[in-house]
Amino acid sequence: MKPARTPWISYALIVLGSVIMIFPFLDMVFSSFKSASEYASLKYSLLPKTFVFDNYRMAFEQLKLGKLFRNSLIRSVSIMVLVLLTSSMAGYVLAKLRFPGKQLIFRFILSTMMIPTFLFFIPNYYITVHFPLVGGNDWLGQNGNGGLAASPLGLIVPFAVSGFGIFLMRQFMITVDNAYLEAARIDGAGELRIFAQIVLPMTAPALATLAIFEFINSWNEFLWALLMNSVNGDLATLPVGIQTLKSYLDPTLTQPLVMSGLVIATVPILILFIVLQKYYVRGMMHAGLK
Amino acid sequence: MKRFGLKRETAVAYAFLSPVLLFYAVFLVIPVLFSVVIGFTDWGGFDLASMHFVGLKNFRQIFSGQSAFVHPILTNTFAFAFGTVAISFCAALAVSFLISRLRFEGLWRTLYFLPTVTTIVAIGNVWLYLYNPTNGLINGIITGLGFRSVNFLDDPAHALPAIIVVGGWLGIGSSVLLLSAGMKAIPEDFYEAASLEGAGAGRQYFAITLPLLRPTILFVLITSLIGGLQSFTLTLVMTKNGGPGNATNVAALEMYNQAFSFGNWGVASAMAFVLFVIIFIITIIQLLVFRRGGVESYS
Repeated sequence: MKPARTPWISYALIVLGSVIMIFPFLDMVFSSFKSASEYASLKYSLLPKTFVFDNYRMAFEQLKLGKLFRNSLIRSVSIMVLVLLTSSMAGYVLAKLRFPGKQLIFRFILSTMMIPTFLFFIPNYYITVHFPLVGGNDWLGQNGNGGLAASPLGLIVPFAVSGFGIFLMRQFMITVDNAYLEAARIDGAGELRIFAQIVLPMTAPALATLAIFEFINSWNEFLWALLMNSVNGDLATLPVGIQTLKSYLDPTLTQPLVMSGLVIATVPILILFIVLQKYYVRGMMHAGLK
Repeated sequence: MKRFGLKRETAVAYAFLSPVLLFYAVFLVIPVLFSVVIGFTDWGGFDLASMHFVGLKNFRQIFSGQSAFVHPILTNTFAFAFGTVAISFCAALAVSFLISRLRFEGLWRTLYFLPTVTTIVAIGNVWLYLYNPTNGLINGIITGLGFRSVNFLDDPAHALPAIIVVGGWLGIGSSVLLLSAGMKAIPEDFYEAASLEGAGAGRQYFAITLPLLRPTILFVLITSLIGGLQSFTLTLVMTKNGGPGNATNVAALEMYNQAFSFGNWGVASAMAFVLFVIIFIITIIQLLVFRRGGVESYS
């Protein structure tokens, strides 16, 4: 229902709304270039009087951004790869094979998507730290130095499977024509080969959706990473490292550094999102709201 | 279709599913059961041998008069959930309607969606600066209009509304996405027929768009309500422990702090159980609504 006349009032309203949406981002970017004294000055201004580029060098030094960035990257890439693998394998089986218990398992996976995440913090913290035979733990999960949390595994393993991912891949794989699978079976291809060489390439768009969705969500995840960081300080990701180190630094002197850190934590992800949003948005539509 | 033996097919299927099933056993089924058990103990999270069964003591404690859990914490939880949903839904309804009539629809949608893909740590800290009582933008505007400056996050009367505004702002993008998709699904013919009959834009909106959008609207409202009831990252980042006092404290944050700041795992798990029951009831209502509705999401 596009009207013929240009709806100026609508444009005015939507631009005003957009300013409210992006203003905090502009404030973050410009604040990251302010000097500490200007940041603390009595009058608000969006633009810095002089751009202090040195903030970024100091932020890398004092907030150890390089290490935080590496942890975030290791975590997000690992979770992304694991979720793609587990989701496509389970999705394939649930879409294309016949076996007893299939309906039950599918219903179970759907219902896992409705369990709120806060329920898992307490028990999964214990299970992760007392995981048997890793991080120095004995087979009862005792006497070690952090179990899974002794290494980046603590940030990764509890996110290795996604109910949403399995559901998405299953829905997509159902649309793959059985004729391809039949032909391959007649040619004597094994099930693993059919999965890897025929079905997976056909589901590339769904894999792209899941990959970008998992990468961004793992990058931004805060609460679990905060818990893991409390067990093992080497595990700080960008959001966790900036938030926790912020409280150790003198706020009157270092706020612009915190803003520089936040720019480093958010801008790469925003660019990634804008470039690949077609895929991300499709994932959101399937997941409903987060 | 030519099948290979059913027995072999079953073996292959379970081989492919085994990592997933193992994961769900360790990180989902055991934790849920474990969590319920902990709620009935006085455990501090150290040694399984130090876990003592105390019956309903934790539940009696959090529902007793001295406990802050029911009021203000649960009250705040509902205020936060309804407040953020009200802001994000009303804004999203207006935005999705406006952008459907404008050019560059995709561009506007992207702008409104940016906060959704930004870490809450950045959102919380930037808004703290905007709310700053001495040199924040918002107080700059308030004093510029001749009012006295407000210390938003340290004032018990203003702290919760201040966080609700940020939470609402944060939620606009995903609601716009779903509402826009719902609007696109309405056939163009309906509007053409209405135009021929002489109905104006406003009439069309109330007689066609809103009624046909009802299933999407219900879906957005219920899922964002469920999200709002369990959300606490923003409160944690902006106020650390739900302060001043308990003015901004919400149930999931109190659970997190009881467990990981004070070591009261039993009390924390009892709180988690109560919040879970509340959310479970709303989820059941949602499933009942959509069995009759038309949203395919949970089919």
